[in-house]
Amino acid sequence: MTQPAPSPGLALSTHGLQKRYGKQVALAGLELSVPTGVVYGFLGPNGAGKTTTMRLLTGLIKPDAGTIELLGRPFGQRDRRRLFEVGALIESPSFYPYLSGRENLRTLAATGAPTPRLRIEELLELVGLSDRARDKVQNYSLGMKQRLGIAAALLSDPRLLLLDEPANGLDPAGIAAMRATLRHLASTGKTVFISSHILGEVQQLADVVGIVAAGKLVREGPMAELLHGESVVRVRVAPSESDAATQLLGGLAPNGVVALPGDAGWLSVRVEPDRATEVNRVLATAGIYASRLETGSDLESLFLSLTGGSGQTGGEGTFFGLAGSSQPTGPTGPSEWQGGGKRR
Amino acid sequence: MAGLRRLIRRPASLITLGLLIGLLALIFLAVGATANQEVSGRGRAAATLLLTFPGAYVTIIAFILGLGGLFAVIYGAAIAGSEWNWGTLKSAVARGESRSRYQLALFGAVALLLGIGLLVAFGAGVVVAILGGAIAGFPTSGLDDPAALGRLPELIARGWLAVVEQGALGFAIATLARSQLAGIGAGIAFYFAEGFASLFLPDIVKYLPFDAAGAMVATPGGDQGFGGGPGGGPGVSGLDPDTALIVVIAWLIGSLAVAATFTERAEITG
Repeated sequence: MTQPAPSPGLALSTHGLQKRYGKQVALAGLELSVPTGVVYGFLGPNGAGKTTTMRLLTGLIKPDAGTIELLGRPFGQRDRRRLFEVGALIESPSFYPYLSGRENLRTLAATGAPTPRLRIEELLELVGLSDRARDKVQNYSLGMKQRLGIAAALLSDPRLLLLDEPANGLDPAGIAAMRATLRHLASTGKTVFISSHILGEVQQLADVVGIVAAGKLVREGPMAELLHGESVVRVRVAPSESDAATQLLGGLAPNGVVALPGDAGWLSVRVEPDRATEVNRVLATAGIYASRLETGSDLESLFLSLTGGSGQTGGEGTFFGLAGSSQPTGPTGPSEWQGGGKRR
Repeated sequence: MAGLRRLIRRPASLITLGLLIGLLALIFLAVGATANQEVSGRGRAAATLLLTFPGAYVTIIAFILGLGGLFAVIYGAAIAGSEWNWGTLKSAVARGESRSRYQLALFGAVALLLGIGLLVAFGAGVVVAILGGAIAGFPTSGLDDPAALGRLPELIARGWLAVVEQGALGFAIATLARSQLAGIGAGIAFYFAEGFASLFLPDIVKYLPFDAAGAMVATPGGDQGFGGGPGGGPGVSGLDPDTALIVVIAWLIGSLAVAATFTERAEITG
């Protein structure tokens, strides 16, 4: 099989990547192109092949077909040393429960790329676990294990960071601090590849997005580009007035008004966010009063239309509030990781 | 060294050693305490054999290798299996660590710890034998018997190799099973199945790991079957100690090769 030419400017790429587990197809020719120095959001519904992709990228499993390039060079079975420049957190963080956080990092540092001891202390400080570094991991909360997992992924100061659901278990301050840390890493030229199903998190963090469904990439590109034309205003009216409101708003939105499944009374109006007032006025004029109004560039709508799923309005982090912005609102500095490391 | 430090901190290491020493102490002290209550001369004679040096050296090693063999299988399986259960092998491989080197280094640490455990258990055994003997009123004059002491290093070295082989077997089984619990269960089943099979297939069983390990540490005086499963006693260990040594080394290398090769080829999921 002829190897494709290395792709300059890409931290990670896959070509025709296929993987089966028995009869079940996990990946059916995945084509990824992850530019260097960006935060890449890898989105997909459950079972779409995200974790399988992560495992393939770290050499835990072998592809049935296709190729992988890591940091500009082909990555195969005999290229394990390439992973010296890659940090990964795959599925749940994995540690020896009877060892402390610090001892676990030391143990892990003894494998793979050589890691100076000082680095461990720096990372414990970064993720806010210095105070709990001597405690056994079995006594850590889920969020603390996740922090330690992120520290472990950063041990070798990797050029490429692969994180599978990094926000799992983190409290809001921890999420904000993680976001700031990852953005900082990307600003220094490192590439951050995040697999997630929390669309709001990815929307706030990622520069480039890849959406995968049924083992194939269905859309990839810069976030702004993908969301162009995906702006909507969502409005909630009394369920009994939903039909009347749909008719009224149809005149405003040439692309249509959609009653959202799952929540009676929620309507999605495909207009620019700055027309939210107009939407409200049209309804009020007709004697229909909205109980809620939201705007946003809707990654969720795009995601659902591409993956064939159905959505729930008001889901976790999927939509920014009317007064919200697309910027993180919590603490943003790496030092803010400190908040969650307090003794329980 | 990092691997050894990690294993020393593991509760299973201390529990296994503690159990072995506890049972050793229980038996030797109980024999010492009841030796003088025995009406028949046979009971007193048995206690004398057990608690009088230099013969007690051999008894202690026999006890450690008999029960220690089972413990070694369980311990080896627990260490290898937990790497899959806890995902720590996955983390190391994802950092670019060589799979087979990781496994072999891990087992190296297990082997070292088994050696340390054997020495500690032997030392504890000598102490409880002296205590048991003192309770029974036996002399300790044979403690410094030059001939027995001269044979001890080789006996302990062979004993170490025996438990390392048995640990490697548990290690390989758990690696194949990718599970701590399944590995321990299968290891115990193997241990007892070999003992049971020795009743029917002695010519084959003598080449199996537990029986060969028992034969390897048999003493020139005719004692045999220190190690081995429940059936690994006299009459089963048909191999001479030197042949058994080769068989044990073959089982050790084979077990490690299986564990390393399987890990190298395995798909690490979960």
